[in-house]
Amino acid sequence: MVFTLLKESIIFAWGALVANKLRTFLSLLGITIGIFAIITVFTIVDSLERNIRVSVQSLGDNVVFVMKWPWTFGPDYPWWKYMNRPVPMYAELDQVQRKAKSIQAIGFRIGARKVLKHNNSTVENAIVSGWSYGYGQVKSFEISDGRYFREDEAEGGYNVVLLGSTLVDGLFPNNEDPIGKSIKVAGRTCKVIGLFKKEGESMLGNSMDNQAIVPYNFARLFMDVKSENSDPFIAAKAKPGVTNEQLKDELTGIMRGIRGLKPVADDDFALNETNLLSKNFDGLFDIVGIAGAIIGGFSILVGGFGIANIMFVSVRERTNLIGIQKSLGAKNLFILVQFLGESVMLSTIGGFFGLLLTYFIALLGKDAIDMDISLTSTNIILGFTISILIGIISGFIPAYSAAQLDPVEAIRSN
Amino acid sequence: MNRPKIITFICIVGYLSVVFTFPQVFSPQIKKLGVLMPAIYGILVAANFMACVGLWYYKQWGVRLYLISVFAKTLFYLLVNQLGFGFYFNIILSFIFIIILLRFYPKMNPNL
Repeated sequence: MVFTLLKESIIFAWGALVANKLRTFLSLLGITIGIFAIITVFTIVDSLERNIRVSVQSLGDNVVFVMKWPWTFGPDYPWWKYMNRPVPMYAELDQVQRKAKSIQAIGFRIGARKVLKHNNSTVENAIVSGWSYGYGQVKSFEISDGRYFREDEAEGGYNVVLLGSTLVDGLFPNNEDPIGKSIKVAGRTCKVIGLFKKEGESMLGNSMDNQAIVPYNFARLFMDVKSENSDPFIAAKAKPGVTNEQLKDELTGIMRGIRGLKPVADDDFALNETNLLSKNFDGLFDIVGIAGAIIGGFSILVGGFGIANIMFVSVRERTNLIGIQKSLGAKNLFILVQFLGESVMLSTIGGFFGLLLTYFIALLGKDAIDMDISLTSTNIILGFTISILIGIISGFIPAYSAAQLDPVEAIRSN
Repeated sequence: MNRPKIITFICIVGYLSVVFTFPQVFSPQIKKLGVLMPAIYGILVAANFMACVGLWYYKQWGVRLYLISVFAKTLFYLLVNQLGFGFYFNIILSFIFIIILLRFYPKMNPNL
């Protein structure tokens, strides 16, 4: 009974929509634009959030970084105090490694922009990083071809290098296999032993695609390890079951001991965490999401008013038809479902086109900025939910007023 | 249909609350609770709106739908643990409105 009623109502509604094509198109345009606006905002925010999360995760989960500068700071940030802090040194890594009990892996890293050359191909401004052997166990990365350097290569400062995909494309444009080939890193000959898997653009600028990794003991031959410009830091990963807070407490004690700080003296190093970074971005994306929801929400409401308006016109135009239907025995519920079905159908079609538009924009964006922008199933469900909802809300009053019409007066109306 | 002024007031408050709670359907807070949560919350907002239409036409089904939507909304907030000032304010206001609506219920039109 209910399904028959629904089916008949939908057939009636479809007939009405097809009969007034231009009107249908114009009224669903409001919803299309509304859904397009809101779902595009959500898609972009979700994609940026996902990208940042992956970038932060690539720095390592549950990793504490010993650095000169903190990553986050408040308005009363005494930057002048931080200026005179020493940068972390490789020698400190050894001492921390010996003293710490809660560390699973620890590494040291410096980096600078250098020129890479291979035959006639040159890549300027490539990020060359010098890693201690242990840093490879702290940081997450994938090798597509070749291998990571061995411990003896790292300790002995062998001239070996791992390359990111962008650098491979730049140095080996003829698709030759880079493994085993020699390239020049800052004027020094290096043998390529491994290639990183392509990662794409990173929001934090830490994609491995544009990085060349050499052992720290080799990098220090052409990098100033005491300079802040080399951005040196120690990264420590906690053992399973050890919280970052416990690790930070231990690292604070050890670092203060190494640097001989008096009990009353402030720390002259910063302990940074990846999850701190994620939390900051979470707050930012929440604000962007709320702003998007408010702006998109009201634009959809305006689209809903358009549908309500067109539904009132539709009821007015078909008043005598409603009268005939009612005099032939159609129940109020049938008339209600008929008009409600029409408005839901209208807004759902509008929502579908809005989602389709978002999908194409996501495809275009993906090609344009080399970032993974995709319309997720959650956002598709959300788009259809909003469309159906706005169809119900905007169509209910016209549909109910149609259902309440007196059959005799309805038939007489022009 | 002689709709008392107090019912008109309840309907206007209800319509306004629908306008302002509608953008919440796709707010990040609701979205984070689960894939289907915006849909569930959306149904509650729509039910609240339809109840207000029913009350506007002085129909008994409006009161019944209003009761169901208030109960379901309270349950939703309890389940997702969103118990701020707004939650308690909403409960008190809805409780007052329900008492008023139940007073007028026997005089209302029982048909659809």
